[in-house]
Amino acid sequence: MAIDWLSDNWREVLIPAAVGVFVLIACLWLRQLVRARLQRWSKETGWKGFDVFRQTTSIPSVIWALTIAAWLAVLVSTIPSDWQENASKGLWTLFALSLALCLLNMAGRLITLWGQHLKTPDKATKATWHLARIVIVLIAVLTLLEIWGAPITAILLAAGILALLVLLVAIDVGPDLVAALQLSSSQNYGVGDYIKLTETGEEGYVTEVNWRNTLVRAPNGSITIVPNRKMTRTTVINYGHPVKKAKEPFRFYSRSHMKELTGLRARNLRELADMLKVVPDSVIYFHTHHFLEEHHYLTSQPSNDLSLWVDEALGDEVLAEKLASVDTFQFSSLQALRERHIAIIEEQLAQGGSLREAAPGGEFHFVKSISVIIPASYQASDIREFVEALRKLSPGSLYFHVFESRLRLGRGLNDFSAWLADSLGEDELAQKVARLDPYTHSLEGLREALVQLIEKEIGEATRL
Amino acid sequence: MKLPDYEPIVGKSTIEELRLLASKLAGREIQNINSTYVGGGVAEILNHMIPILQELGVDARWNVIKGSPGFFEVTKKFHNALHGRKEPISEDDFELFLEINRKNMAEMDFHGQTMFIHDPQPCALIEKKAESGGKWIWRCHIDVSNPDERVWRFLERFVIKYDATVFSAPAFSRPLPVRQFLISPSIDPLSDKNKDLSTREIDAAMEAMKIPRDKPIVTQVSRFDYMKDPVGVVKAFELVKRSIDCTLVLVGGGATDDPEGEKVLAEVKAAADGNPDIHIISGQARSDIEINALQRASTVILQKSLKEGFALTVSEALWKAKPVVATAVGGIPLQVRHKLTGLLSHGIDGTAYAVRQLLANPDYARWLGENGKEHVRHNFLITRHVRDYLLLFIALDHSEDVIHL
Repeated sequence: MAIDWLSDNWREVLIPAAVGVFVLIACLWLRQLVRARLQRWSKETGWKGFDVFRQTTSIPSVIWALTIAAWLAVLVSTIPSDWQENASKGLWTLFALSLALCLLNMAGRLITLWGQHLKTPDKATKATWHLARIVIVLIAVLTLLEIWGAPITAILLAAGILALLVLLVAIDVGPDLVAALQLSSSQNYGVGDYIKLTETGEEGYVTEVNWRNTLVRAPNGSITIVPNRKMTRTTVINYGHPVKKAKEPFRFYSRSHMKELTGLRARNLRELADMLKVVPDSVIYFHTHHFLEEHHYLTSQPSNDLSLWVDEALGDEVLAEKLASVDTFQFSSLQALRERHIAIIEEQLAQGGSLREAAPGGEFHFVKSISVIIPASYQASDIREFVEALRKLSPGSLYFHVFESRLRLGRGLNDFSAWLADSLGEDELAQKVARLDPYTHSLEGLREALVQLIEKEIGEATRL
Repeated sequence: MKLPDYEPIVGKSTIEELRLLASKLAGREIQNINSTYVGGGVAEILNHMIPILQELGVDARWNVIKGSPGFFEVTKKFHNALHGRKEPISEDDFELFLEINRKNMAEMDFHGQTMFIHDPQPCALIEKKAESGGKWIWRCHIDVSNPDERVWRFLERFVIKYDATVFSAPAFSRPLPVRQFLISPSIDPLSDKNKDLSTREIDAAMEAMKIPRDKPIVTQVSRFDYMKDPVGVVKAFELVKRSIDCTLVLVGGGATDDPEGEKVLAEVKAAADGNPDIHIISGQARSDIEINALQRASTVILQKSLKEGFALTVSEALWKAKPVVATAVGGIPLQVRHKLTGLLSHGIDGTAYAVRQLLANPDYARWLGENGKEHVRHNFLITRHVRDYLLLFIALDHSEDVIHL
């Protein structure tokens, strides 16, 4: 019976079959041609994208050839038109699905490739991949609905609103995302670099570069979040990768002091010497450092209260000069400093020195320095953070680490030198800082001298 | 005025330091008590200090004792006697002082964890300590180094009951069995009295005060008070005028607790004897901006006091980078370091000589003025004063000399 039917209708079968086979062969030949061309381009240009095209279309292209061939065969067949229509829809559905899967695969691999090439942050690559996936799936669904004749106006409207929302987000996020790509491709800085924004003065180590912001950790531990678009528009100084980490971070202290009256006073040299023997160290410290601190804005005025009083109240310029010329920097303890001043006064008394009395109201008042020491918000893990904090320290804090810790707390060495040697192993720099006589600088001059000394060291280290 | 407003003047680190210290006192209730809301340095400082302490998180309050005119007559006599002047003070005067203090003790609400009592007028309120508790500090703004012993002994029995006392200069202190701290007062660089003014503002103010600007201007800004020696200023000016033509301006307001002003003013006018180059401006009609403008328009500023508390007018003049000639009394030597931040003098002749020196050497005068401004920036602005008060409140809880927090 089937043979009878075939002998009667051989044309209706043969023609569609011939068309199908012919188109299939043509499509497969074309496929082979395109694949060979892609391979050649890949070799010639070295761009791996051509390989991605070739690999991802390998199987789908066979499906496409088959569906095109089958569809044309159905078209030329004499089967009823409603059968023809349903078969076409089925074939086009198969075509659209395989195309969508192919595009998803291709887009994923191309975006990864592109991200690797531009060194885009992972998050930026993933975001782009998600966006592409949404677009492909959306187009595929719409195409299928169109094929099957479903009403798509409402869906298009919804898709339009969604696109608008994506656009609005992109307006906000887009510039940062683009900036992230620019920053990554330019490789001007990366995680771990120490950077400084010249316009705003923010600086610190880059801890993260994501698709919206660059995170910078300042020496005081605070994190500054800078939008990427700002990073592309401002001048950034990149000091490079971290320098040697200290074994222990340097913790800066804030030091404020106030004056407490002892009620003790001297009217002449004898009383001055006698009182100096019994007053607490805090009094010796105050009277040998107070003038210096109170007038720290002046270019070095190495003087002390004892010398000033002997000059102004007793009018003994010779003794005043001797007292003023005591080189405090050479003393490592307040007791030794006290004994030196007493010795000078007693020597003068032994030589029959001034027995003058200060006028009423002009007595020497012994004052005690009370220091309050609180951990400041700054700390430094390496020399770069250290010099940066040094620039911002309050005068009181600088004073504490250089003058007070060395002499008053009896450490014998200023805190900076101790840390540079012990925690950083920078013995030479530590010695240079220790040799810097703070008593011959104004406080701001001292700060500048320290910064310059350390900057020079960093510069040399970087060149090496 | 907010704390960040001071940053451009004193630097960010100074403000950070204040916040750090204040964080150790967060919520501490400090009750300030004095005798007047207006006039005089104490009220002026408190007016600026309280909002800053509050901004830092310290619960600072300010109350004023109520007193009769008779009470203020007595406290004015106390003030003069503590400065060493002989004053006729009767037993009734002492009794009135105690009665007003007792009355205030009964009426006032003593709620501070730290009670900060300013000057002698409310000094006897310490009797309330046993009942209200807390730490009590007596802040003495005047020089009590050579007081009338009768008045000092009367006050001393109250002073020794305080936990601590505060003086403005080392020389002001007395041997006392309580801790004594040294805190200089201060000026507010953003107040109308001290803020920067444009040339136009200065010109307008000088025109309003009808002070000609064709000659160098020598100015003293002070209450009309014997202690400020305005008559001595007129005499020194007459000496200067012999060789250098210039103008003298004497300007002063009044305080509600200062009933003596009119009498002194009359004596100054008599001494000026109608000299057209001497301009005497009195009363409270002149605004702070006008006084500011006058100081800025002056060539040399004088402070020829015979006795002083601290003399904030000197800080004001130095802050405007003006060369200052001042007598070496009270807190003035702390501000004017001779030949470094100004010139110190001891009498009428010395004052006249120093003024002539400055008028004849404008470069030297400018150098002294600029040094003076930096000296005030670092040591006599309100930010340093706030810091000292915070340190004082902290130090009261500790006995060691180096306090680690």
